[in-house]
Amino acid sequence: MAEKGRSRRTALKLLAVVTGFFCFPTVSQAKTLATSPLRDNLLRPPGAVMEHHYPGKCIRCGRCVEVCPYHCVELLDIRHGLSAGTPIIDIEKSPCFLCMKCVHVCPTGALLPIEQHETRMGLAVIDHHTCVSWKPDSLLMCKTCYNVCPFRDTAIRMEEFRPHVDERYCTGCGICTNACLINRDQGGKAINVKPIYATIKLPEAPQ
Amino acid sequence: MIRWKWSNKRFLVLTGAFSLLLVAPLLNFYYDINFIQGWYQSIGIGDFWIVSPLEGLESLLVTRDPFGPLLTALIFPVLLALVLGRVFCSWICPITFLSELSERLKQLLSKRTTTPDRWVLFRQILWFALGLELFLSLVLGAPIFVFLSPPGLVGRELMSFVFFRTLPLEGLIIIFVLILNLLSKRFYCRYLCPLGAFLALLGARRRVRVKNIMQNCKGCRTCDHSCPMGLSPSVGEGMTVYCWNCGTCIDNCSYGQLEFNLKKVEPYSSMPIQK
Repeated sequence: MAEKGRSRRTALKLLAVVTGFFCFPTVSQAKTLATSPLRDNLLRPPGAVMEHHYPGKCIRCGRCVEVCPYHCVELLDIRHGLSAGTPIIDIEKSPCFLCMKCVHVCPTGALLPIEQHETRMGLAVIDHHTCVSWKPDSLLMCKTCYNVCPFRDTAIRMEEFRPHVDERYCTGCGICTNACLINRDQGGKAINVKPIYATIKLPEAPQ
Repeated sequence: MIRWKWSNKRFLVLTGAFSLLLVAPLLNFYYDINFIQGWYQSIGIGDFWIVSPLEGLESLLVTRDPFGPLLTALIFPVLLALVLGRVFCSWICPITFLSELSERLKQLLSKRTTTPDRWVLFRQILWFALGLELFLSLVLGAPIFVFLSPPGLVGRELMSFVFFRTLPLEGLIIIFVLILNLLSKRFYCRYLCPLGAFLALLGARRRVRVKNIMQNCKGCRTCDHSCPMGLSPSVGEGMTVYCWNCGTCIDNCSYGQLEFNLKKVEPYSSMPIQK
């Protein structure tokens, strides 16, 4: 009986260690627990509130994931700390086509109902060093991003055979990034979407 | 006519509630039928939205920004808890379904019908779990139970499996909760679940309670041994906040002395105690 009790105790201890190992990240990762998971080409769905409110507002019900007809909204897991379970769009995998279905199912107002043209998921930025139309020595003209942009001629314009992004109209949907022909082997996409709320700092109080 | 026991009715409801978690993502993923979305953190059936009370409360407390649809979606579950008590836990929750399923499988495999509770703690721990959970979310500035709640995790695991063919790491919590059942029946639900505590608190003055009629009670305590929450309905603990109205004790009483009471009753302390 004592033998059995001891083995059970060992098993329980082992179980505790294993769960602890999986549930709690290592010390070096601890800093990232509270930081935003957003970075280039990794964005919140349309209509998202400010990023520092987002983990508090979202109740991780996954309804935005389920209604997305393109299956582009994904869920983060526990390795992202406090942002675990929040939705994210990896536009290199699948961009947002602005169908505006997710904003109408969010029960907590983490995604607020907005119009297509009001969406500001991020801002597309063209890398002038990798874009074949922008390279100084390039004789090629590519206008894939211009062709696929849902707000063609307002958000992306062609001027002097080169694409220009207008930050007043860019919704950050990422269709241009997804379509860009430059791939990772050539130094990453030539047009990337920077999340608007990930790097912005709150205005400091005047001295 | 076959008389349906409460536990069989309840298991049917639990199975339906669990299969909803599986059917809804399948419909959404393969057929783009978006009539039902979500799971028991927030579920939308057409235009009828439900948000789990504790998750909604956490979100409201942390952001202090009331949002109309959230408040409307809280009405139904809160009313349910006010009238019927903690019935979400016993009749709908997928964790209860999994626990009950494993219990039924165990009964099929082994001859022992009941297992004794190995760890019996103070029931009041439940309130500390709720308090600690709310305190931690307010300190961290982000709700915790929304991504760690076992009932919600079951839905998220199933949805993730259908949509992305992966199982998120948090699913280990479900396994852990089910392993805790070995210590005593529904260990997590009894002592640790903040959602259960919040629903129990809402249902403290509920109308539907398990009452011992006391006319023909033999004092055999069969009901006490059957209770999954470790209560003693024979001495009226079915009237306390901790009872979740599952009806197991009613099924197990051979003398028909227990029933769901719908009328307003006087506190149990004024009732005669069985000799």
